[in-house]
Amino acid sequence: MEHSHFYAQIDRYAYTNALAKCSPITKGFFAVSALLISVSSSSALLSATIFLITTIVTLYVAKIPFHFYFDMFTLPTIMLMLSCLFIALFFGYGEKLAEIGMLGFTWVIFKNGVTLSITTFLRVESALSCLFFLVLTTSITDIFITLRKIKVPKTIVELSLLIYRYIFVFLEVSAKMNTAQTLRLGNSGFINRIRAIALVAGNLFIRTLEQGERTFIAMNARGYDGNLHVLEDLPKPTKIALIGIALFDAAMLVLIILTISIGVI
Amino acid sequence: MHIMEGFLPHPWWEMWFIIAIPFIAYGVYKLTKITKKIPEALPLLALMGAFVFVLSALKLPSVTGSTSHPTGTGLAAVIVGPAITSVLSLIVLIFQALLLAHGGLTTLGANVFSMGIIGPIVAYMIWLTCKKMRLSNSVGIFFAAALGDLLTYIVTSIQLAFVFPTGTGFFNAFLKFSGVFAITQIPLAIGEGILAVMLFDFLAKYKGQLLDKMKVIKLPQSKTVQETAKQ
Repeated sequence: MEHSHFYAQIDRYAYTNALAKCSPITKGFFAVSALLISVSSSSALLSATIFLITTIVTLYVAKIPFHFYFDMFTLPTIMLMLSCLFIALFFGYGEKLAEIGMLGFTWVIFKNGVTLSITTFLRVESALSCLFFLVLTTSITDIFITLRKIKVPKTIVELSLLIYRYIFVFLEVSAKMNTAQTLRLGNSGFINRIRAIALVAGNLFIRTLEQGERTFIAMNARGYDGNLHVLEDLPKPTKIALIGIALFDAAMLVLIILTISIGVI
Repeated sequence: MHIMEGFLPHPWWEMWFIIAIPFIAYGVYKLTKITKKIPEALPLLALMGAFVFVLSALKLPSVTGSTSHPTGTGLAAVIVGPAITSVLSLIVLIFQALLLAHGGLTTLGANVFSMGIIGPIVAYMIWLTCKKMRLSNSVGIFFAAALGDLLTYIVTSIQLAFVFPTGTGFFNAFLKFSGVFAITQIPLAIGEGILAVMLFDFLAKYKGQLLDKMKVIKLPQSKTVQETAKQ
């Protein structure tokens, strides 16, 4: 799975970045509030500001290498560009921007379709930068502990932990099976490859379930009662950081009001 | 169908959250009940979640601001019921947003609604109908998984069409989005149906008793009587 490789890198940065020791509540507060502000307005100026600020924080404060950050943006941006092109060319109404005569059809491009696609593009980029900040600076374990602290139902957190573990069991088992098949010339040639994929698909599920059940029995034998107790010694959020983030959010809200009253998009 | 982070503007993303929350709340209630009653079902629930995660990570790009991929929620709905499937989808979608940057946190409401609520409910209803018509399990699973998958994409097209209208109205925009999805999604849905049938057969063979206990399939009466006698 090519995803697992990319994911392993994200996970490594989540544990090793310069903000890793910082309280997850502070980081979560910054990322989520910036995210909410950037998606609740369609102002291009606001989107660009939030994108720049979160990118600077990610690159210079959390010290994520530029090339990796750039790589993370590449695929979503390409897909986003295609989507926005699709919107600009086929959607919108009202004022016409261009008309193209083609094979007897007239193809109309509307002005508000183009505006919509540009604002959407910027909004998605700024929202992605907020999401990437959270992903690259906070490890999943910290997120679990934080979720438990903010009183998310216990069953959800437990099930999430188990699913998280199972995803890796899935990947491990399938990698092992693939290696075994390749060693036995299972992936040589088209027909053999199809057969190999079918065998893996059929057996992967049952193998994972068996391994999971063994884990579950082992957990029960050690007194598992539906709660996983882990040591929760996370750093507490500092007041200065929280106030700073609140001020930043307030400034962004003022910017929204300003752009609306001046009439800039 | 994971709509990208930030692709839905202001009133829409909040609206989908509000619509999705009651279903999720009911799902959490059901989940708590079933894990209390049948604790050994927990690994199966988590496995269904991981299965949904892996299947929906196999994405093909689509030009609609989202992606095209199998969902896996149809099979999950048949096995663990649509209410719990909605909770599983919520967890899986959060993981995909955080681990793979696939989907997003603000579009979570819309994504959960299409993949975790409507798809599974439709799949479950199809499964029940097929059972009532006394069709074989395989036929029921195939249609439940394939149609549940397609319905998910129809809901996503509706969600996108609300946001990006065309001059000729909502329906026209809906046709444009669903047309783009259909190219990749119809073959994927058929593939997912076949995979679901294979997996369900495996599960029924190896975990028949657990499925019987969870009231998914009914084992022949004689066997259950024997087992109660054993206990």
